[in-house]
Amino acid sequence: MSDFKYGGYAGSLLFADLTKGTVKKVPLEKELCGLYIGGRGRDAHLLFEKQDPSVEPLSPESHIFISPGPLTGLLGPTTGRVNVAGRSPLTNIYGNSNAGTNFGPELKFAGYDGIIITGRAPKPVYLHIHDSDVKLLDASRLWGEGVFETTARILEEHGPETKVAAVGPAAEHGVLYGSVIFDFWDAAARTGLGTVLASKNLKAVSVRGTGAIRVADPDEYYRVARDGWQAILDDPGFKTGEHSALGTSICVNWGNAQGWLPTRNFKESFFEGADKISGEEFRDSYSTKPAPFPAGRACFSCPNRCKRFGRIEDGKYAGTKGNIEFEGVSAFGSKCGVDDLAAVFHAYMLANDYGMDCISCGNTIAFYMECVEKGILDGDGLELRFGNADAMVEMVHRIANREGRLGQLGAMGSQKAAEAIGKGSDKLLNTVKGLETIACDPRASKAFGFGYAVSSRGSDHLRAHSVFEMLKMPEGLGKELFGSEESVNLRKYGGKVRLLAWHENIACVTDSVGSCRFMQASYYAEYPVPELLNKYAKRKKSEVHSIKYHEWLKAATGIPFTYAGLLDFGARVINTERALNVQWGLKRAMDTLPPRFLTEPIPKGPAKGEIFDPVKLEEMLKEYYAMRGWDSESGLPIEERLKGLDMGDVATCLKKRGLLAPASARTPETVPLPTTFDFMTDCYVPPAQTGGKERRKGGH
Amino acid sequence: MKKLVFNPELCTGCRSCEVACSFKKEKLFCPEKSRIRIVKIDEEGVDVPTGCEHCESASCQMVCPVRAIKRNSSTGAVQIDADKCIGCKQCLVVCPFGAIHFDPEKKTVFKCDLCDGDPECVKWCYTGGVTYGEMAALPQKRRHTTAKRHLHVQTEKRKGRQHS
Repeated sequence: MSDFKYGGYAGSLLFADLTKGTVKKVPLEKELCGLYIGGRGRDAHLLFEKQDPSVEPLSPESHIFISPGPLTGLLGPTTGRVNVAGRSPLTNIYGNSNAGTNFGPELKFAGYDGIIITGRAPKPVYLHIHDSDVKLLDASRLWGEGVFETTARILEEHGPETKVAAVGPAAEHGVLYGSVIFDFWDAAARTGLGTVLASKNLKAVSVRGTGAIRVADPDEYYRVARDGWQAILDDPGFKTGEHSALGTSICVNWGNAQGWLPTRNFKESFFEGADKISGEEFRDSYSTKPAPFPAGRACFSCPNRCKRFGRIEDGKYAGTKGNIEFEGVSAFGSKCGVDDLAAVFHAYMLANDYGMDCISCGNTIAFYMECVEKGILDGDGLELRFGNADAMVEMVHRIANREGRLGQLGAMGSQKAAEAIGKGSDKLLNTVKGLETIACDPRASKAFGFGYAVSSRGSDHLRAHSVFEMLKMPEGLGKELFGSEESVNLRKYGGKVRLLAWHENIACVTDSVGSCRFMQASYYAEYPVPELLNKYAKRKKSEVHSIKYHEWLKAATGIPFTYAGLLDFGARVINTERALNVQWGLKRAMDTLPPRFLTEPIPKGPAKGEIFDPVKLEEMLKEYYAMRGWDSESGLPIEERLKGLDMGDVATCLKKRGLLAPASARTPETVPLPTTFDFMTDCYVPPAQTGGKERRKGGH
Repeated sequence: MKKLVFNPELCTGCRSCEVACSFKKEKLFCPEKSRIRIVKIDEEGVDVPTGCEHCESASCQMVCPVRAIKRNSSTGAVQIDADKCIGCKQCLVVCPFGAIHFDPEKKTVFKCDLCDGDPECVKWCYTGGVTYGEMAALPQKRRHTTAKRHLHVQTEKRKGRQHS
């Protein structure tokens, strides 16, 4: 066990230089813990510090980080997340992805807060960690094998309790959106960091950890963790049991009903075949734990269990099995117009086994289908029309193996494919900064849409996950937290910038501590939302529980975090990622949405007629830049604001590279997000006065 | 008498019970020090909670050369007296469930003691993968679940007759 000053941390990082074939254990810098916490925050900072901007993503000198956070592996609501970060080969800007798995906790128990990998091994290797015994082993037998086979073989070699992160053949072949798959099914896939690992000739990382993690204040930790746990169990969304019963696939029918389910390459946002690919259909047809057993599978220490495991027993796709999530279902289902769930499930698991991002892959195929429909692309022998499941499955194989012209182009992602196809195909794209859009139509949900435009990794919801606007929250809550009643309305713009900024800040916290987005933005168990809900919702007032990340982190680490401090922390991470992006060539003009969303109204369904108003987008960008402290002309960070966030080192560095806003740049004064709330006298009882012991016994 | 019941059909594999156990017993977060263990078969999507079943005819108790293993008369738990344990690990070898573990620092073995009748793992299990209940209630519950299935069959048959 380590004698590291702060609790919650293992106290060391593992630094692997594959060119030299060396692996070193290095102590974690204590200063980093207070400023950048861990996971996503620390990864972004170290990437800025260690990697020269000129280094290409797939060159040996590039770095890749695999990092859990200080709460990963501890007891509490969702402590199973691990962050993967580096420069994305798909978008050439900042790339990171996050997975819920047992790998992160195991790495902590082995004694490491993260792994930093650089260099390129002369031949395929994998990194095996068994506590302090760390070695690079030959992986030539594994090279070319699928993710599932690779993982199974490593388990055979090192024992069934080993946790494995593996890359697949797609990444080896250079598909630019290769994924890192943990423990068979848990993907960190967006932005293609699996391809970076494969370019380093690193096939897998396996870990077995038997050590322990201490926390700074065990009694307080127990109280806070139990309070947070209870907050989830009390959440109105959790109580419906739907998310736990159907997994994230619940969003198929839900999104369809709200009119944001992307259909046929985002031409529409309502899919007539949604029922056939829904979470309900999956539960009834393929789930291995059907009713009356509501149990899905859960990440480490999570009450939610949103992973739905299923298997196809007969028919064309017999033998297909795995965890299914909404994004993959929508990518190969509604986006491609396919309503055959077996084919969708199969294509999805093929993408996982090949080790590539199912969202980018499915979107690229959907993009092809529309190009073919418009007559600007030849299907290369395939009948690539919307709804043709066989052609879709064949296309997954071709892309992963880079077979034929479409396979070659598709491997580069839809934006680069459109450049090669030409003929106006770029108008059919749904990419922001080169990354394909996830399964929510930005025209129908304005905070999501605005989030895609400003997200640091391109068109993605997990920078903010602003589900708030979809949940019919009380208007008073929207007004108090985000300054406008309109913020609770999916189709309105009011308050959405503040809503997004708050979500982004807290998302940085959850990603950095090693906790899950769903606790903060889906269930809204995060302080101060349960307290405010109790105040505004029309229901019986009761004792309120909430996840207080500041108290939780303080009890675990001993560092005195506060709620206001964590909002600043979020801003610091967003600014670090901005700094990374501007040095990699991000321009203000790239903070926008694809033309389709700004000009083409949704043709049918519940969101008929909606567009994302370009004038509003411009206004929102200005407000957002002001909140972030970026120059509204150039989109570059302002020195003063960076220094205010304890980022003097970053400011100095950007200044040298000429990437700071001009000294004359000023942003209009903005009202900061609220940090004190008047419910404090109402219903929230500060910790010192509660009967902690009684609450422990609460159970369920 | 109450029993700790493991139900793999309801277990989600979240392992909260493991960390809760190690925290209660050792003030540490360390699944390796947990008395309860979840065996995860990720490839097939199956999670199986395992731990001491507190056997009536406990081989660990019989094999212990220094009589360090005794039954707690109030909870029925088969418990190890760490002060008496000589660390021979015979119990660990004969346990059919792999529920006895060796602590390399303390040089003794450890196992579940039902937390004196208030098991910590159960408090963190939301789905019912691990429960603690009266033994007699177990078969009773199963009997009645079966009976309800028959009731359902008969109701459906009656409906069928009436509709035809």
